[in-house]
Amino acid sequence: MTKHNHEADVAFIQALAELLNKNELTELAVKREYGEDDSLEVRVVKQAAVVQAAPVSYAPAPMAQAPAHVAAPAPVAGPASPEDPAQHPGAVTSPMVGTAYLAAEPGTPPFVAVGAVVTEGQTLMIIEAMKTMNHIPAPRAGTVKRILVTDGTPVEYGSPLMIIE
Amino acid sequence: MSADWPEGVGRVILAETDTTLAEAARRAALGEGPCWILAGFQTAGRGRRGRPWVSPRGNFHATLLMRPKGGPSEAALRSFVAALALRDALVRLTGLSQAFALKWPNDLLLNGGKVSGILLESLGSQGGVDHLAVGIGVNLIAAPSPDQVEPGAVPPVSVLGETGVRIAPEALLDAVAPAFAAQEAALAQGGFAPIRAAWLAHAARLGEAITARTGTTTRHGIFDTIDPSGALVLRTPTGLETIPAADIHF
Repeated sequence: MTKHNHEADVAFIQALAELLNKNELTELAVKREYGEDDSLEVRVVKQAAVVQAAPVSYAPAPMAQAPAHVAAPAPVAGPASPEDPAQHPGAVTSPMVGTAYLAAEPGTPPFVAVGAVVTEGQTLMIIEAMKTMNHIPAPRAGTVKRILVTDGTPVEYGSPLMIIE
Repeated sequence: MSADWPEGVGRVILAETDTTLAEAARRAALGEGPCWILAGFQTAGRGRRGRPWVSPRGNFHATLLMRPKGGPSEAALRSFVAALALRDALVRLTGLSQAFALKWPNDLLLNGGKVSGILLESLGSQGGVDHLAVGIGVNLIAAPSPDQVEPGAVPPVSVLGETGVRIAPEALLDAVAPAFAAQEAALAQGGFAPIRAAWLAHAARLGEAITARTGTTTRHGIFDTIDPSGALVLRTPTGLETIPAADIHF
């Protein structure tokens, strides 16, 4: 049985803050019950950064110069929407509700890390439900660009797990 | 092979292997299955999240390799199919029925002690599963001592120690294979509903206080039911919580 202590609380809060940043969330609230009259309630909030890019306008060149310099019209980004990793073409999503594990068992190296080159069919992680360990294979060969879940946390059906490009 | 061995299912008996789950994965990669694989002895028996599983000769260590239709959530329902099949088989072989109960999701309890462990592994494949391996360990003649398991875990027991009945591993295999096939047929015909109802009828601690530990949290509540996906439903002071994966403590 783990003893509830200050150091563990600090580590836990730090992990939450990282989780917040990693998943681009703005708020996270968790209550952990360690026993009777012994619980920890944490709420981590991030000030939503203004993500809207300032509209960039290209003033017409005052004088026509060499035609070779005519710039292609700059792609005008609409109001920047917060990126949804599930919509990313390289997203690997969860086929089930369960708990995600990044390593085969506690204390062993993770199946893959960011930057790893994977082959099609290689196990990326495990999603557990009802004591069934479902191995998630890489749908294609590529490089692991992002890992969007942390070890031992719940995932929903369709949750983005990783980005592989 | 017994007369009621399921048709089309292989029966592989090994003197020794690392784990029958690993053997099933190797055979799946070669395109084999469905088959039951029984090992007399496992050199690297393991439970959930890498916990060691003590696998002496005389105990039961077997895996069913199957290729189910449907997605991984449906594959996971075999957790309950396997627990019910094992219960049916052991009730038949011991003649005792009241002594056995089920602990979510798939532990079989004998006189309140843990007599078996069931661990399933599936390999995903474009929305479906390539294969599913249902690993079953049963303490037929010997159980680890309580200090070999995690603190707070249900104390381990053996069939022999609790009932005086000595069952040979192959005899249990010949009972559990047809029992699994029967429960699987019920799943194919009626979906999860009949499996769920049968499981709930034998569930331990239903309506009582339990603790669910996941990788990152611990939750206390009343064991309310299991939902249509098999997830545990816990009644807590803040409402009902649905839990698809956890270690349950009484």
